[in-house]
Amino acid sequence: MQHRLSFYRPVWFFFVVAIVVQSANATDELNEEKFQQLHQSLQTSADEPWRQIPWEISLLNAQNSAAKSQKPIFIWAMDGHPLGCT
Amino acid sequence: MLDRESTFADAEIIKTLQTKFVSVAIDQAYQRRQKDTEGDFYRGIAKDSPRGDGSNGGTTQGLYIATPDGKYLGYTNHRSPERIKKFIAESLAKFKPTNVDSIKPEKIDRRYHPVLPKGGLVVRVQARVLDGYEPTDNKWQKIFQSSLSRDNLWLTNKEHESIVNGVIPAKVQRRIARFHLVDNTRGEPPMWRDDEIKSINMKLENGKLTGNASLSTRDGSRTFDCDFYGYVKTSDGMITRFDVIALGKFFGEGTYTKNAPKGKFPLGISFTLADGKDVADPIPPQASRGWLDGYLKN
Repeated sequence: MQHRLSFYRPVWFFFVVAIVVQSANATDELNEEKFQQLHQSLQTSADEPWRQIPWEISLLNAQNSAAKSQKPIFIWAMDGHPLGCT
Repeated sequence: MLDRESTFADAEIIKTLQTKFVSVAIDQAYQRRQKDTEGDFYRGIAKDSPRGDGSNGGTTQGLYIATPDGKYLGYTNHRSPERIKKFIAESLAKFKPTNVDSIKPEKIDRRYHPVLPKGGLVVRVQARVLDGYEPTDNKWQKIFQSSLSRDNLWLTNKEHESIVNGVIPAKVQRRIARFHLVDNTRGEPPMWRDDEIKSINMKLENGKLTGNASLSTRDGSRTFDCDFYGYVKTSDGMITRFDVIALGKFFGEGTYTKNAPKGKFPLGISFTLADGKDVADPIPPQASRGWLDGYLKN
């Protein structure tokens, strides 16, 4: 019997460690450190190239500006807002 | 987001648009339906394109170039920078500057001009898939796999006041669940129906927000279980900080958000008070399109 317990000890040890690690992961998923790191990484960067274009978001405002400057209008028209979710 | 990372990341295109055009970004699902001055102006341009004016109910999405008085000069639905440069050059060659009057908005279709309720707040909502994609050499898929989405959460004055008093109103929680706990990183996402919210609980204690949510379609083809964590600070009766994260496991995809990672994957969503300095801050919430009352009702 003593011999059989010794044989299984490494296996039990592995399961215990796995349970402890899994439980730690579950409870630590959103802690202060993770929040700070994640919130910062989920912000847009102000220096993205497309932001260098002075986008209007109103077509009539664009028309007014184009009439004044005698420039053509470039329209980026999508399903969903192009500066948003598409 | 593909266009932002490809077409409009090209230095030559950026320079051309900065100097030779007035550029405008629109959700054409509004303009092609608007029964007003702006809608007429848009459809007047689109009708001469291969897309048509949308009167058949179809999308008119793409890139257009037009004169200030609304004459169509060109259209493309490609995004390769080289094709866009050709499209721009060909359209510019047809353009002759002339004196044109500004168009006044004599008629406004209120259904498609949603306005933030007086005293309300805008909260930026940005999401990213954090892991789970299979490696790819496809450059478009690579863009999707790392993309950060953007939408806005609108809060009314009354809801603002309630949060200042330490309570996240139930209908704000349900609005967040239905319309903002979505995977919109690869395109227009399916929103959640009211009965697909299995639970949502957001608690505010001493400026710290915690909670969780569980959403699932009836057939289980889309699910999201997440935790909330963050901070809401107030000063002089105003929210001065709204920094919250939703982190959880998402499963599934929508008609326009194909190629999600297989199985459950981690999705992070940030909520941040808008300061009005970002070009996307004034854009109405995606879910409010033609339905602001319904959006705010939830």
